[in-house]
Amino acid sequence: MTATATADVAAGSGVRVQPAPLAAFWRQLRFIARRDRVRAPVWFAAVVGLVAASAVSVVALYTTDEDLQSYATLAQANVAFKAVTGPGYGLDDVTLGAVVMNEVALYTYVAVALMAVFMVVRHTRAEEETERAELVRAAPVGRYASLVATLVWVSGLVMVTSVGLTGAMLAVGLDAAGSLAFGAASAAIGVVFVGVAAVAAQVAVSARAAKSLGGAVLGASFVVRGVADIGNGWMIWLSPLGIAQAIRPFADERWWVLLPLAAMAFVTTGAAVVLLGRRDLGAGILRQQPGPSTGSPRLGTPFALAVRLQRGALIGWMVGLALTGYFIGLIADEAEALADNEAVAEMLARAGQGSITESLLATMTLMVALIGSGFTVSSVLRLRTEENALRADPILATPVDRRRWFASHYSVAVGGSLLLMLASGVMIGFGYLSATGRTDEFLPVMAAASAQWVAMVVLGAFTLALAGLGTRWALLGWVGLVAGFVVGFLGDTLDLPQWARNVSPFEHVPAMPAAPFDAAPLLILAGVAVAFTAVAMVAIRRRDLG
Amino acid sequence: MDNAIEMHDVVKTFGPTRALDGLDLEVGVGEVHGYLGPNGAGKSVTIRTLLGLLRQDSGEVRLLGGDPWRDAVSLHRSIAYVPGDVSLWPNLSGGEIIDYFARLRGDLDIAKRDALVERFELDPRKKASTYSKGNRQKVALVTALSSDAELILLDEPTSGLDPLMSTIFEECVEEVAAEGRTVFMSSHILAEVEKLCDRVSIIRQGRIVQRGTLDDLRATTRTSITVSTERPIEGLDEREGVHAVRDDEARVRFEVDNDQLGPTMEFVASFGVVSLVSSPPTLEELFMREYGDEAHVEPVEEGGER
Repeated sequence: MTATATADVAAGSGVRVQPAPLAAFWRQLRFIARRDRVRAPVWFAAVVGLVAASAVSVVALYTTDEDLQSYATLAQANVAFKAVTGPGYGLDDVTLGAVVMNEVALYTYVAVALMAVFMVVRHTRAEEETERAELVRAAPVGRYASLVATLVWVSGLVMVTSVGLTGAMLAVGLDAAGSLAFGAASAAIGVVFVGVAAVAAQVAVSARAAKSLGGAVLGASFVVRGVADIGNGWMIWLSPLGIAQAIRPFADERWWVLLPLAAMAFVTTGAAVVLLGRRDLGAGILRQQPGPSTGSPRLGTPFALAVRLQRGALIGWMVGLALTGYFIGLIADEAEALADNEAVAEMLARAGQGSITESLLATMTLMVALIGSGFTVSSVLRLRTEENALRADPILATPVDRRRWFASHYSVAVGGSLLLMLASGVMIGFGYLSATGRTDEFLPVMAAASAQWVAMVVLGAFTLALAGLGTRWALLGWVGLVAGFVVGFLGDTLDLPQWARNVSPFEHVPAMPAAPFDAAPLLILAGVAVAFTAVAMVAIRRRDLG
Repeated sequence: MDNAIEMHDVVKTFGPTRALDGLDLEVGVGEVHGYLGPNGAGKSVTIRTLLGLLRQDSGEVRLLGGDPWRDAVSLHRSIAYVPGDVSLWPNLSGGEIIDYFARLRGDLDIAKRDALVERFELDPRKKASTYSKGNRQKVALVTALSSDAELILLDEPTSGLDPLMSTIFEECVEEVAAEGRTVFMSSHILAEVEKLCDRVSIIRQGRIVQRGTLDDLRATTRTSITVSTERPIEGLDEREGVHAVRDDEARVRFEVDNDQLGPTMEFVASFGVVSLVSSPPTLEELFMREYGDEAHVEPVEEGGER
């Protein structure tokens, strides 16, 4: 192999030369760092900042032993809680650290894993797709240099983030061993997903597919550990997220559980390196299948193309949210059993009228809508992608009005969001049916899901207006979604004033089925969506394209 | 309507950059018009303005008698376009993309499409993500050439094609021209422009610096002469319109302004011509002269910046 040859030359000449497969490794590492000099700090700040803020709010909320005890009682008795937070390690003999972990750990691990997936694919397959990687590889750069530099860089970013997370826990006054274990677990799950993403980048047919594959593995491990935490405890060993939780920070830490994660990281990383040696640059292990030689007559309008381009993503989102919905339906009834619990009664009082099941369903529907808004925003942002990739030009060089082109992806975003909400609503109903044999939650949940959809449309229209003003503004659409999450799930803990909460469209949607239907706020939201859409349609006609 | 394209005193700025700086351009109906200029001269900006994708800051633009910004949709029924940088949807096949555009224009002609796909040796079943640059270019060319558009706008249409495919492209353009349709093409391949185009415009820094038929352009420039005479030619250097004289004993080579060609030939003849080769300037020479340091030809515009 070349490696040996070069090594011999190096030995002979006495000059220190890196073995050829990794030639220019350090240069690549510096290059990647240079490209990420904004992105990496943003990820770090977002993950550490959000986790720290959540930790602070939890610490502020549970000040007495009594508070902690009532949290523990609720969390341990409620299957829904377990499904979305974890099995509740350390709640038997409850400490503040255990409560903080129960609230933030799982989502921290998910965030770190997502960071790893996005960053790894960005520097591997996405580079190859832009054909920049070809330029790099044409230079005296080893075949493995870019991949290994990416693995080192993203793992490093994961480690630094984990140190930040440990620091955040220490800063809120939690003990050192638990903080360290939390950081270690975050680092371990991050490195596992660095490996998973690296494998996905070798296997998938495109960068987009690689990200989806990495995301799918993450989603599956979330679901598997949810099932494990509710019933089949042994199943946590099938889920990297479950294993990471089993390190049990602040609950009699089990350090040896880091070992299986380290093994997973080792195996996946190794697999990625081996696979890289067996594939062509720019092509995955899975081959792109040939398509039809002619176009279907149905593929004859911008809308049809938008559907075609977004079909895959929409189906993926639908499967995910439908499963989530079914799960919610299954556990919703468990809440009823807690009706005589004191802590639950208190929560009930806050949620307003309606049964505890209905309050839970209302909160869960909001959660589904916020997650689903990820589709809404990214779907509208296809317009930005199309314009930046110069694919809008040839469409607009045909007799297609700019507004019609804008409306094409927007319609998919709006219609797709409705499909998502209806699908998850139906599946919540089915889940409830399988658990209780009753069909009486179908219609209320469908109505609640449809009401939340109106707020999603506002978010989509907001993003559309930004895209109308110019591609450089469009990404701010995500800010709207983040605002929805912060208000919806951290509003109470951060003690946000009402005017700030009103920024989120979701704040105005009646919390059905716990609260009664109210047409007025929905009509106002619809009016806001129409106004944003109008701004977008006027703006897109007035500006230069591309 | 005599002209398919008319641009008058068009200015388009991007921040401090003046991409089009008082551009005047006319393309007659039925003409094959070549649009030449170095990178960054404003060729693509011109074409994107003609498509109504960009709006000029000032000046007038008429396309097939309409305003390309205001009447974009109706005008585009009669237009086909090949972008300079062909970007396709990676997960659609070439055939799907060709048919999609034809359906958007509303003029899908299956027989014509199939014939072009075959002529360009394009595999329409492959996904766009697996196409090379040349194949992406072919998809765009088949799309444009299979249309029945009155005006075809081509932005460096052969930049990714091999010589064989370039020849086929030239045949196709000749067929389009024979049908009386208008073609406006920017290009770097001067031989291709020389072969295909009735008239050319040369753009530099956002202004047209030369325009006309190739013969017109040649008339304003120089002919290269290589001559052997019985007696040494004396005083050639001093004659009006004679440039770049090189005397290597056996023969003399020089260039002469075309308006001085007659008198110069009479002068040379007086030394007893043994052999004479004259070659008209190639487009390449015209082009190089326009952009070379020694700018010989006066600009079309008064006071054009050099």
